[in-house]
Amino acid sequence: MKANNKKDVGTRFTGVLDVQERLGAAGYISSREISTIVYLAQETDKPVLVEGPAGVGKTELAKSIALCLDREMIRLQCYEGLDESKALYEWAYAKQLLYTQMLKEKIDDVVSTTSSLAQAVDEIARHEDAFFSRRFIQSRPLLSAISSPEPVVLLVDEIDKADPEFEAFLLELLSDFQITIPEIGTIRAHTRPFVFLTSNNYRDMSDALKRRCIHIYIDYPSMAAEKRIIAKKLPGIGARLLDQVVTTVAGIRQLDLKKKPCISETLDWAQSLMILQKDHLTPEALDQTLNTLCKHRADYGVVRSRIHELVAG
Amino acid sequence: MEKILLEFVSCCRADGLRISTAEVLDCLVQLEITGVGNPLVFHTILRANFAKSRREHSAFERLYRLFFHEMQKVKLLTEPEKDAAFPEPGGSPYTSDEMKALSTDIMDTDIDQALMDFIKGNPQVFIAAVRQIHDQESQTAQAVKSNLGQLNGRLEIMLAINKMRQRMARFLGGPDAHVVNGDRKYLEKKVSRRLDTAMAFLNEDPRPDNAGLRTAGANEKPYAGVGEIPFANLSRDEMNRVSEVVDQWVKKLAEMSTLRFSAARKGRMDVQKTIRRSGRYLGVPVEIVRKDRPLKKGKILTLCDVSGSVWSTARFMLGILYSLQSCFARVKSHVFIDHPVEVTSFFMAHDVNKAIEKILKHPGINYSAKTDYGLVFQTFKENHFQDLDKKTTLIIMGDARSNYFNPREPVLEVLRERCRRLIWLNPEQERFWGTGDSEMPLYSHHCNEVRPCGNLNQLIDFIQELVL
Repeated sequence: MKANNKKDVGTRFTGVLDVQERLGAAGYISSREISTIVYLAQETDKPVLVEGPAGVGKTELAKSIALCLDREMIRLQCYEGLDESKALYEWAYAKQLLYTQMLKEKIDDVVSTTSSLAQAVDEIARHEDAFFSRRFIQSRPLLSAISSPEPVVLLVDEIDKADPEFEAFLLELLSDFQITIPEIGTIRAHTRPFVFLTSNNYRDMSDALKRRCIHIYIDYPSMAAEKRIIAKKLPGIGARLLDQVVTTVAGIRQLDLKKKPCISETLDWAQSLMILQKDHLTPEALDQTLNTLCKHRADYGVVRSRIHELVAG
Repeated sequence: MEKILLEFVSCCRADGLRISTAEVLDCLVQLEITGVGNPLVFHTILRANFAKSRREHSAFERLYRLFFHEMQKVKLLTEPEKDAAFPEPGGSPYTSDEMKALSTDIMDTDIDQALMDFIKGNPQVFIAAVRQIHDQESQTAQAVKSNLGQLNGRLEIMLAINKMRQRMARFLGGPDAHVVNGDRKYLEKKVSRRLDTAMAFLNEDPRPDNAGLRTAGANEKPYAGVGEIPFANLSRDEMNRVSEVVDQWVKKLAEMSTLRFSAARKGRMDVQKTIRRSGRYLGVPVEIVRKDRPLKKGKILTLCDVSGSVWSTARFMLGILYSLQSCFARVKSHVFIDHPVEVTSFFMAHDVNKAIEKILKHPGINYSAKTDYGLVFQTFKENHFQDLDKKTTLIIMGDARSNYFNPREPVLEVLRERCRRLIWLNPEQERFWGTGDSEMPLYSHHCNEVRPCGNLNQLIDFIQELVL
């Protein structure tokens, strides 16, 4: 399974440090822990279950992996009521009916030699595979991921939003990388996709699902890590403003808020300050740009009441 | 390495972490890939395989610290395996005849045996004993209720630790000392450290890190006047006004939810109807007809405290839930003071006001009893556990004031694991949670969502989110 030929070198990671470096080059600052898990998931063909608060970079991790392994990313966004017809496959009924109409004469030829209704049915049944074949299947993300000739990154996003039945339905895919379509049989993966499942902890995942995955929890980054992320994404930011932004966001996250600012909100905020040509942070500037950081009306009040304290650091 | 890993897994299991054999095998394969030389990588791999949710991380970290740091097993991973008790060179081998003599001398109870094993470096039985104290669910039928059960169990182990300390001191340094001088200091230090560790482990109160907890409040305040008055303080006129507002709002919400369900009518194709319709276009299926497939509706199970001020909020919530029954697959309700009583049939047979009136006269509810949340959860688990499944949202409404009785929060954890979501509505304002006999901070570790819900705006905000 390890990278042992030249072709593999670009499409597989060769070690934990390689993961860290290549993710860094793709714009994702990864901790040693994340890199280790990603490398092990690749080496053992295990799906990665990524948990963490909204906006800490769970989806971004999968995107970055796809980017640095030069793989296509197939994304399945989960929601309440998601079922196999949206996630796996659906028969192209319209196409099937259209074909039956177009091939009407041919069907007449097939049954013309038969003498009874029963024989005609048997004759048609001999050809039924023609209408229940891969040709008439509309692939949805999961089927696309396992039938792709080139390995892909499969992102099953916000799995906690899907119904428990859907979770059970994923088990076959995650453990054996195969799926069963009653009319066709079992379809095995041509290539193993690199699977990421993300969860915001809306509900607890089942033990069966967790057992099939390697788990990682991504928390809000440390101040040093956040500083590196901002400096990477917004290279023009001044050192003083960068320090103040990171310190203030860390302070805001300590407050009792309905929604704590995540990394992308920190980036939006820093960018807003740069657009407003601020080279350092003032309570007025924070007040003026608070809507990029706080997404609940109640949170505005909490932050505003501590604004001087937060900016003073 | 396998042996140590399996010992660690046994400890994790003794402390309640569910680790399957497949996960142990995965872990071993991964350790083989990376090697065991780097403690950070070693820790990452173990955590990724044995603690597969944020809630389990605190328990895992506690055990990891105990097993690999306090018991110093990490060193053994990179060295040839030797006596696990005291691996440092120069120290006495712990399985010496003298220690064996001591072992047989002081084994009065199971706890003594567990402690002796702990000192030797096998903490599994001790961990299980401590876990048992936290999970204690007994004392259901005592005349005088208290939360002393846990304390009593803890005290017993503390006394055993102190007794062990004294015996060890006698063994190592008294007139009948069995140990030669060279080994004494080393053993004294080691044994004392192990017993300190055992004491610290006992006194640590493990709490899951409830990272996914939602602490939502009412963001919108659609009703400025009556909407902000606590239900408990409503005058008769205000009560009528609130009832009118609730009726109007329920109708509006029911209409909105109908729209939501009709918008979702896009399911599989209805072949029969499509073929029939294709007759209009010379057999070409121009119009595809789909089967109606409304969104799956959730089941609701409520557990409402009917003591004191909580009931004034609970009655409104129950009234609304039963008015919106069409939005849910099933609504079941229980009320409680010291034990749960099912009241679903009252709401099915009567209109809301009549049902509430009848519930208040229900002979099964002992209004003179003191609220005991721990007992209620325990009884609910014993009698109604089968009503919970992964489609059920369990809504508990109460102030969590349990009169200092045993809160039995592990039972709440069991209920959480069984249902889809566990939501706690507390009619008290957030600043009072945790004051006096309120067990709210303790219970909130086991909830998916906690909300203050003491006035109309807060209640409307919650129900709207639940339905839409």
